[in-house]
Amino acid sequence: MPKLTFISADGETKQSVDAPEGITLMEAARNAGIDSIAGDCGGACICGTCHIYIDPAWWAKVGDPIDIEQATMEFSENVTPHSRLACRIELTSEHDGMVLQVPPED
Amino acid sequence: MAEADMMNDPVGQKPVYWDPYDPGIFAEPYPVLKRLREEAPLYYNEKYDFYALSRYDDCIAVLGNRDDYISKHGGVIEVMKAEIEVPSGMFIYEDPPLHTAHRRFFTKVFTPKHVARLDSQIRDFCVKALDPLVGAKEIDFIEHLGAEMPMQVIGMLLGMPEEKLKEAQRNVDESMRTEPGQQNNSSGASLAGDYYADFVDYRIRNPGDDLITSLLNTPFEDDHGTTRTLTRAEVLSMVALIFGAGNETTNRLIGWTAKLLSERPDDRREVHANPAMIPEVLEEVLRYESPGMYIGRTTTRDVEFHGTTVPAGSVLLAIVSAANRDEAKFPNGEVFDIHRGRQPHLTFGYGFHNCLGNALARVEGRIAYEEVFKRFRDWEVDMSRAKMASTVTVRGWETLPAFL
Repeated sequence: MPKLTFISADGETKQSVDAPEGITLMEAARNAGIDSIAGDCGGACICGTCHIYIDPAWWAKVGDPIDIEQATMEFSENVTPHSRLACRIELTSEHDGMVLQVPPED
Repeated sequence: MAEADMMNDPVGQKPVYWDPYDPGIFAEPYPVLKRLREEAPLYYNEKYDFYALSRYDDCIAVLGNRDDYISKHGGVIEVMKAEIEVPSGMFIYEDPPLHTAHRRFFTKVFTPKHVARLDSQIRDFCVKALDPLVGAKEIDFIEHLGAEMPMQVIGMLLGMPEEKLKEAQRNVDESMRTEPGQQNNSSGASLAGDYYADFVDYRIRNPGDDLITSLLNTPFEDDHGTTRTLTRAEVLSMVALIFGAGNETTNRLIGWTAKLLSERPDDRREVHANPAMIPEVLEEVLRYESPGMYIGRTTTRDVEFHGTTVPAGSVLLAIVSAANRDEAKFPNGEVFDIHRGRQPHLTFGYGFHNCLGNALARVEGRIAYEEVFKRFRDWEVDMSRAKMASTVTVRGWETLPAFL
């Protein structure tokens, strides 16, 4: 069961979450009640509300966004080179220890 | 099973038949769509010469691939068949790079954060629509709410004069209306947006803090790499698209929600007691009763589904309303379940052409039902007077009176 660490947008709070393999990072964040990861569209990759920053050390494990995801991220705010949509990342044992940060509100 | 189907073929022995025009199937499409998923996951309709996919994964494969399945010939069968020259600016029917350039214009206006800021204005429109009905014996969920609030919101965003909105809405309704069983032969005419010329010309002379003004004045890089502003013709097409889309769809969502909750008093009372459930209930309504039945694409090369080749240049439909009930993706997909939680339905599409207004529709729907439930716990739709809108593109109620 991969252990994930979510850092708040201001960097002040860290939350550790044990997530089962096979669900998406969006579902893991939502199940854990992580603020700002709304996942409005339920994982259809159309709303952009599960935008998250991947810790650079973990980028290789998740890889670059696909073209559709890139297009949907136009709905998200504060997109950086370490941005992904959490609904596009299916968790595996490879992600054990992954560190993520919630993007700022504005 | 659709009525016509039931009479001619009570036990479903004939090969499954589906087209979006058949009034019997349109009234009750889901039994036929279930058979399509099971018996003909790649379906070919000889009468209208189109192919159709009904399983979730197949629909995703088409909608997520803009190289093999293009949009520039339109998304509705009769438009695709008529080979209408789609005007520049009608970006739902464009391909990259033009589509990318045009769509980008709107994305920032319709982000979830941006539309969340419209909360109090949307709420005001709902309050104005609903307050006069407190103490009344009846509400018509379409006439009083569905046909009012989304129109007011999109009119406000665009910067159209309030007193002209009803007339503009009638114009949209007329352009979409079809006789039962008939195709919509006027589909192409409304795409250019000539109807909106007065509103656009007014904003050319009197710029405001609205979307028409930003469309006219914001520079962008076009498909040739030239930085320019949109032409008046492009703006007209875009305004036609946005006003039409903003009017039709949330209206249908409001209607379907009223009907489904009317039929399920226990669900309705549960939501009344816990309005925080509203967003998830609306997602289930969207999944269960998609206002748009299908999304069309044109194939650019021969493609294969389930062992059959679809030739290049074919009309290929992703029947999202069928995909939304695919049991392989949504267990008990034919069951309406307010506790299902948010599911990745395809009602707003998928991929590069997904619905730009999805966040706005969600916010409008949520606020509409928050305000409904503040005033009413119980209602009962009078199906003897309810009427479905006669259009082949959007399925939903035109009249939906309910006893309070």
